[in-house]
Amino acid sequence: MTNAARMQPFRRRVRVRNGWTYGVWLLLGALLLWYSTLIPVFGPFQITSISKNSLPLVYLAVGQAIIVIAGGIDLSLGALLLLSNVIAAHFMQGQPVGIVAMIAVVLIAGLALLNALTGYVITRSGVPDIVVTLATSYIWSGLALWILPSPGGGTAPEMRWLFTGSISGISGSPWPPILMMLIPCAVVAIWARRARQGLTLYAIGSSKVAARLSGLDVRRARSVSYAIGGAMAALAGLATVAITGTGDPRFSVGSNATLNSVAAVVLGGIALTGGIGNLFGVVATAVILVILNPILIAMGVNSNNAQVIQGILIAGVMMVGGLVALLRERAS
Amino acid sequence: MSPHAKGRANNRSLMTAPASLLATVGVAKSYGPVIALSSVDMSVRRGEIHALLGANGAGKSTLVKILAGVQTADAGTVYVDGHPVQFRAPADAITEGIATVFQDPALIPDLTIAQNLRLSRIDMSKLRQWLAWFDLDRLDLNTLVRELPLETLRLVDLARAAARDPHVLLLDEMTAALTADQSERVFDLLRRWKAEGRSAVLITHRLAEIMRICDQATILRDGRNVERPPKGTIAFGMGELPIASVDEHQLVEAMLGAAPQPVTRSRRTSAGGNGLGDAAGAAALEVRKVTSRSILQQVSFTVRAGEILGLVALEGQGQDRLFDLLSGKRKPTDGAIFVDGRPVRFDSPYDAVRRGVVLVPGDRLLALLPNQSVHHNLALPLFGRLRRWARIPMAERPRVNEAIDQLAIDIRAASQVHRLSGGNQQKVVMGRWLVGGFRTLLCFDPTRGIDIQTKRDIYALLRKLAAEGAAILLYTSELAEIPLVCDRVLVIHGGRIVDEQDAARATESSLLTAAHGLEMKAAA
Repeated sequence: MTNAARMQPFRRRVRVRNGWTYGVWLLLGALLLWYSTLIPVFGPFQITSISKNSLPLVYLAVGQAIIVIAGGIDLSLGALLLLSNVIAAHFMQGQPVGIVAMIAVVLIAGLALLNALTGYVITRSGVPDIVVTLATSYIWSGLALWILPSPGGGTAPEMRWLFTGSISGISGSPWPPILMMLIPCAVVAIWARRARQGLTLYAIGSSKVAARLSGLDVRRARSVSYAIGGAMAALAGLATVAITGTGDPRFSVGSNATLNSVAAVVLGGIALTGGIGNLFGVVATAVILVILNPILIAMGVNSNNAQVIQGILIAGVMMVGGLVALLRERAS
Repeated sequence: MSPHAKGRANNRSLMTAPASLLATVGVAKSYGPVIALSSVDMSVRRGEIHALLGANGAGKSTLVKILAGVQTADAGTVYVDGHPVQFRAPADAITEGIATVFQDPALIPDLTIAQNLRLSRIDMSKLRQWLAWFDLDRLDLNTLVRELPLETLRLVDLARAAARDPHVLLLDEMTAALTADQSERVFDLLRRWKAEGRSAVLITHRLAEIMRICDQATILRDGRNVERPPKGTIAFGMGELPIASVDEHQLVEAMLGAAPQPVTRSRRTSAGGNGLGDAAGAAALEVRKVTSRSILQQVSFTVRAGEILGLVALEGQGQDRLFDLLSGKRKPTDGAIFVDGRPVRFDSPYDAVRRGVVLVPGDRLLALLPNQSVHHNLALPLFGRLRRWARIPMAERPRVNEAIDQLAIDIRAASQVHRLSGGNQQKVVMGRWLVGGFRTLLCFDPTRGIDIQTKRDIYALLRKLAAEGAAILLYTSELAEIPLVCDRVLVIHGGRIVDEQDAARATESSLLTAAHGLEMKAAA
């Protein structure tokens, strides 16, 4: 009728709504381009290296994003990564590929169930997500140490090939890691946007009250979001064992991974208040966070200063985002 | 309808007539110590448009929440088509064929309309048919909900409810945001609904609409059915009122019920005897043609020093916005505010407080630091001045203690304010400004949910403050308070001031009539 926004052509609106996602992919492209000029050779080796090293954080960030979209936040994802990593390394070592595949499937399903239980406890107890998952993060980290007290273990060569493109974990084809990055993330992202249960996650994150009044099961949706987070953390742990060839139970690995997943989610345009955001953006920002380090090293920046620059980048991108949103609001 | 007999056998037969599609018997609900519904019977027959009426706080919205499955009743039973039902979640009510359109549209703001409808499992062909009914067939369903104007959302929400093909439509203030012709389409829908043998329950403040469209009314007062018929009407069953037999003024009378309690009458004479007429003080706060989007229109009035100006309105008539503007929370889109004769422009509540305009907000927990002590809460305004940062200076302690004495605050649980009773909390909110100092006090419904003794304390305090030269603007949902504490009273309806009355002569009936936007009867 009178509202001009209603008259906007469909294409333009899609572009505006997903503007942030396009923006971070452009940023990733620009960074890759820049990186290729910084180092003497940029070829399949570098692409393989970047994509396989990004895998754990990409999985973890997508899992975190789903939980944040549904209105929660999970500080235990890094610890679940640890748990998955050490269980895989401990039990897969020296096993034939069939057993290894079975362990992988059981791990993914098991951690999904475990984290769904965490989500259920959160909805039932009314204790804030951040408190419950902080507590569980210590439990899972402790469990990981108990299973594998010191770095060790291993996995099947097929497993290593799947996530790294080579059975030794060195060099190899870039396609397996790229596909392993894109396929699970695309499945989750499209499910979240198209399936009714996926939309329900957006709904409860956007307005819990309206979702309930619309007849949706808010509690179940919350648990589902945590289940997906758990499954993605299990995948991240599997990727870690494939890349490094061992299990590493150190607490700091898990807690760093958690923090980076939250950073990727925020940079990826997911509102921490829930209900808004595109998972594809998170894939890009997770890769950005991973390649930042080699870029800074290639530039000759002291690795002690690298973190400062990483922090400034996060703050800077978020401020630009805020500014764009403000200007758009003014204009309308 | 034989299956109904089973569910009804052990209940009051008067209530559940054979064709009753939706009925409640003895439904009760309390929120902590506050009783929202003490016992409500309602019976909506097949093919009937039923009005649910009552003044603010009578329990209408609680009843709607129970019928919609948002909340569960403490006692009593809800019957659908004669069968007792238990709603644990809104989804249960929808399954039983009760579709509700709430005052705030229950659509997810960050999803498109199409996605919302998908989530609610709506039959799209039916929905499109209802959208066309409201002339919304050109609406782009890929628009985000939060980009749409409120009236469109309400119609989409109604279309969604209708597309669920429910037996009963529950409409809470459906027409409030709609234009006249949109309202007309809603009534057309209701007529069609009725013709198909289905029912609807309508909650509205617009009595004219009830007269036009409704068949029966259930009137609530203080959480119960109004039991006695108003004078001059023919007898009717308990809790029910055939609309054809009454006029609008009788509905107002029925909502009001018995005359206000005489205990409080005496206070007015003592309090009113302070000798301050309208012209006694200078204008402390003046509002000239203030407009705020479509919510407030050209509102003008003056509060003088030493005067208590009452404000009366039904829910959602713009009073919240008016207080937001006066307390510096928002800026008016047009018009001007004068404090002590000088124009002001508040950028934040801080500016308003500095000019001596202070607010006692409707939600007292909003104003308090719940985990801090009474003393800390009272001394809060003093912390704003930099040189007195961080703790209560010794020199100020007497002022804080004086406020505690003056207000008779029960300080047995003084270490944490959230452990105080509601009345004591309200006293702390008011006492804060006694400590901090002010010239104009804005009170938004300060006595809501407070026991009678504290209410009287607060009335006395307000009169005393006015006698000492303060200007007070008092919005209250309890109309009986107006003649007790106020000097003048303004009535707001639809964002405009529609009436001004002398508070001493105002009655609940005259105020409520004006608040509904009705003209006074010549006799009254």
